[in-house]
Amino acid sequence: MRLLMVRVVEGVGGFLLLLTVAIVINKALREMGERLDRRRRALLEPLVFEYLGAATSRPLRDVLPEPPSRRDRRLLERILLESARLVKGSTQERITAAFEGQGAVREAIRALESARWWKRADAAEKLGLMRSKAAVEPLVQRMNDPEPEVRIRAARALGLIRGRTSIRPLVGALADPSRWSAIRVAEILISVGSEAVDELLAAFDTLPQNGRVSALDVLGRIRGLRALGLMKSCLLDPHPDIRARAAHGLGLIGDPGTTPDLVAALQDQEWPVRAMAAKSLGRLGDPSAILPLREAMKDRRWWVRYNSGEALRHMGNAGLEALTDMLSSDDPYARHMAVAQLEEGRVIDQFVAELTSSDSPTRAAAIRFIDKVTAAARIDERTRQAATTAQEGVRQALSHILRAPAPPGGGGVR
Amino acid sequence: MATAVPGRERILIADGDPLARRFVGALLANNGYEVHLAEDGDSVLRSAVSLKPRLLVIDLVLPGKDGFEVLHALKGEPATARLPVLILSVKDREEDVVKALSLGAEDYVSRPFSTRELLARIRKILERTG
Repeated sequence: MRLLMVRVVEGVGGFLLLLTVAIVINKALREMGERLDRRRRALLEPLVFEYLGAATSRPLRDVLPEPPSRRDRRLLERILLESARLVKGSTQERITAAFEGQGAVREAIRALESARWWKRADAAEKLGLMRSKAAVEPLVQRMNDPEPEVRIRAARALGLIRGRTSIRPLVGALADPSRWSAIRVAEILISVGSEAVDELLAAFDTLPQNGRVSALDVLGRIRGLRALGLMKSCLLDPHPDIRARAAHGLGLIGDPGTTPDLVAALQDQEWPVRAMAAKSLGRLGDPSAILPLREAMKDRRWWVRYNSGEALRHMGNAGLEALTDMLSSDDPYARHMAVAQLEEGRVIDQFVAELTSSDSPTRAAAIRFIDKVTAAARIDERTRQAATTAQEGVRQALSHILRAPAPPGGGGVR
Repeated sequence: MATAVPGRERILIADGDPLARRFVGALLANNGYEVHLAEDGDSVLRSAVSLKPRLLVIDLVLPGKDGFEVLHALKGEPATARLPVLILSVKDREEDVVKALSLGAEDYVSRPFSTRELLARIRKILERTG
């Protein structure tokens, strides 16, 4: 029994010793490899930079003193991939040419077929940085990969490569939310920018409803002026989601010429469309929208009233005057929203501060204004100010106004 | 990175990203400029005084003092107030560009950049401030 114990201890000891030796050797080899990589990189990097900065079309291999070894090819690929994020234009094209000349594109395309998903994902990402048109078709195929990470990296790569053939499958992917996160694809298309507009317009009618909603969102965020006609016609679409997204998109594009279309959308039977139209009118800032926005502040839906009031607040003095006028509206909900927006715009604070002005007309105007706010039955904030504001004059003036009975017509918020 | 070469314009490059620093350095050196590299805000301020470069190419993201602080310090110091500064940065938001130009930067190029455009802008600044 004792002998057996000794044998076991010896065996375990021997195993541990072997393991330690293996770890030490492995570490030494790795460090040696890293040192060699650093030395080779220090030699190769200036040559690559010289190639990238050159005005001639000399290929990378002509800059290198000898045909690259396997290690050097790996290092060249790493230097080129890292440099790819620094530059654009003709230097970027030279990076692509270098990848193609070194066979790195071919290798990465082969890796797209790997049985291991992380190798496919890595290859897709590299191909995006390499920006070779030769990779478009294989990447399009990877958009049907069973692994979501591979699909999204392939989509991102196509977005980086650009060109019609790359963008078309991305637009198609907007239509397939069961397999794609529409938001991520939309972000990729937005990063592509104006190049994506024509493809989105061409494919729009072929997309299902959810795809069209995403496409309108992308077109708005790209601010593609060529999409104005489509957006305006979508304001009349039978689907309220499409109408609402078109109204939103028109605000993002920001062409004041679309004000009449958005004013018409304030009458839409669906409140999300009316709310988006109001928001967009605020972005356009066209004064001709002030009157319709005042009316929209009486809408039966809170979001429409809020967006209309906010839009007026963003429309400069004319908008603030309209909000002040709305304090006397016959509609209690519009009055409440006007108070809320004037409060948000710090207009009320400004008048409160003027309650103690030495200039009588200014003081009288401030009293009239606060009277109107009080009559609009939104006195809670003023009551707080009357109790807590630092200036005694303001406290007294506010307390005096608040003691006066409010005229009838107030009500709760819908 | 470089020793003084008579007749060559001296450019100081400051970038927190080592690869970007080396890349821009090599690009400018290969185009006939005398290049010096700095990796943080404090060394930029020291080198700007000791090397008296003709131009500073600087990233806004730097260890220690950032690009804005360096720019502010350079413009507030009589010895370096007239040093032209070109910002070369990954930051491309409108407010960053406006802030840098209002602090006295001559030009702003955002990354990723076109090497030809960068060289053209540098030539233009050197001509303008020569």
